[in-house]
Amino acid sequence: MTMEAKTHSIDISALQRQNQSLRLEDETIALTVRDLELFYGDKRALHGVTMDIPKNRVTAFIGPSGCGKSTLLRCFNRMNDLVDSCRIQGQMSLYGQDIYERGVDVADLRRRVGMVFQKPNPFPKSIYENVAYGLRIQGINKKRVIDETVEWALKSAALWDEVKDRLHESALGMSGGQQQRLVIARTIAVKPEVLLLDEPASALDPISTLKIEELINELKKDFTIVIVTHNMQQAARVSDYTAFMYMGDLIEFGVTDRLFTNPEKKQTEDYITGRYG
Amino acid sequence: MSYEQDRHSNHISQSFNEELEQIRTELLTMGGLVERQLSEAVEALVTGDTDQAEQARKSDKAINDMEMMIDEQCTLIIARRQPAAADLRLIISVSKAVSDLERIGDETSRICRYAIELADDGKNVRGFQEVRHIGNLVRDMLQNCLTAFARSDAEMAYKVAKQDKEVDSEYRTAMRSLMTYMMEDPRYITSIMNVIWILRSIERIGDHARNMAEHLIYLVSGTDVRHSSLKEIKRTVREVEHKK
Repeated sequence: MTMEAKTHSIDISALQRQNQSLRLEDETIALTVRDLELFYGDKRALHGVTMDIPKNRVTAFIGPSGCGKSTLLRCFNRMNDLVDSCRIQGQMSLYGQDIYERGVDVADLRRRVGMVFQKPNPFPKSIYENVAYGLRIQGINKKRVIDETVEWALKSAALWDEVKDRLHESALGMSGGQQQRLVIARTIAVKPEVLLLDEPASALDPISTLKIEELINELKKDFTIVIVTHNMQQAARVSDYTAFMYMGDLIEFGVTDRLFTNPEKKQTEDYITGRYG
Repeated sequence: MSYEQDRHSNHISQSFNEELEQIRTELLTMGGLVERQLSEAVEALVTGDTDQAEQARKSDKAINDMEMMIDEQCTLIIARRQPAAADLRLIISVSKAVSDLERIGDETSRICRYAIELADDGKNVRGFQEVRHIGNLVRDMLQNCLTAFARSDAEMAYKVAKQDKEVDSEYRTAMRSLMTYMMEDPRYITSIMNVIWILRSIERIGDHARNMAEHLIYLVSGTDVRHSSLKEIKRTVREVEHKK
């Protein structure tokens, strides 16, 4: 062996490549937001938000209460349509298709962009029926298809092993953490493209929280995930990209690793280091 | 709380397990690199092979790169995971051990530089016997140190601390011999001074290896044994063994 080969046989550059961080420029973009303004009556809740949400990544929205992060999240599947006084300007699109265009089928949009809320809200039905519900609404009635999908969804939600022997028992008998994973299973059963999570773990104990976080990490292989969280540490743990919002403005948006080690804006630094907010 | 080898692989978060495992593996990779650089440097010095000395000196760049890379990963883990207890101690000890490894790399590069000067000088210098002997001792310390990190073995780390004592005493003896050589023949003072600098670097490498061993004991026991006597280190290590 020559000396050259001997000295350099450990390839450091391979290790460095492996550790290279993400870049938004290299991502496929799932959701695009351009100059989005949102009003509740006269009150402007979002001030010209512009951002790109990458596919198959976890994007977290952080910020103090009332900063508009949940409001923005709800725009992605038009949940704000249900609020009478709510008015939107600007553009929001899913793979290039305008979400707010006239003629968009909102029910179909909500199938493509699923949502999980803070408090687990299983239907007062069996575990099986909870997951099968969305499929039945879509008119899928073949038992074999439903059986397979229910099993797949429960496995994907890391719940199958815990419930496979009691699929026909009521979902209300499950623990909070299990109920939340069931709701996630119900949401992914209809194979959405995007999963919106509005503080999915804030009502759960620390262990259930970690299980949900681990689940999010698994699910991003198949879905684009957007999560709103009050818990900054949770955002740091689960997300690839983080958006910091304050009083309706998007202050900073970037790779989580960078935002939590070296944020660009002072406001972001103050918030994540607990100096205000 | 007793410390088990697989302590870092039982988190609910699989990626956290992987991140911790990765920094430990990379520390060992970097250790391997430094260990090889040291062997080559001592070999090059004794055989007067300037090419080999030059090659060994060049691997310093890779070692520096690894130091920065591992440190960055430690920072990211702290920022993202807020590690606690044994996980936190792992990150702190890896980060400190990496600094010591980098310093060992620097000392080794210095040895290479003097080796090249001595070889170019062409004189038959005395004192190489001592360098080879202490160099081997120190290399053995470094190897044991890395093994201790690989196995989370506090007993092995204690052995390294003990070896450092031996290196220090051998170093003093060697210094005395070199002084005598200089007095015997002042024409060799310049080249023997170079050998002294080399020995000094080797002795410093021993100190860094001992530091690393102390970081490992901190990782395993949670007790900071820096600036402690060998006796105190031994007591801490015994307590760890006792808890197992």
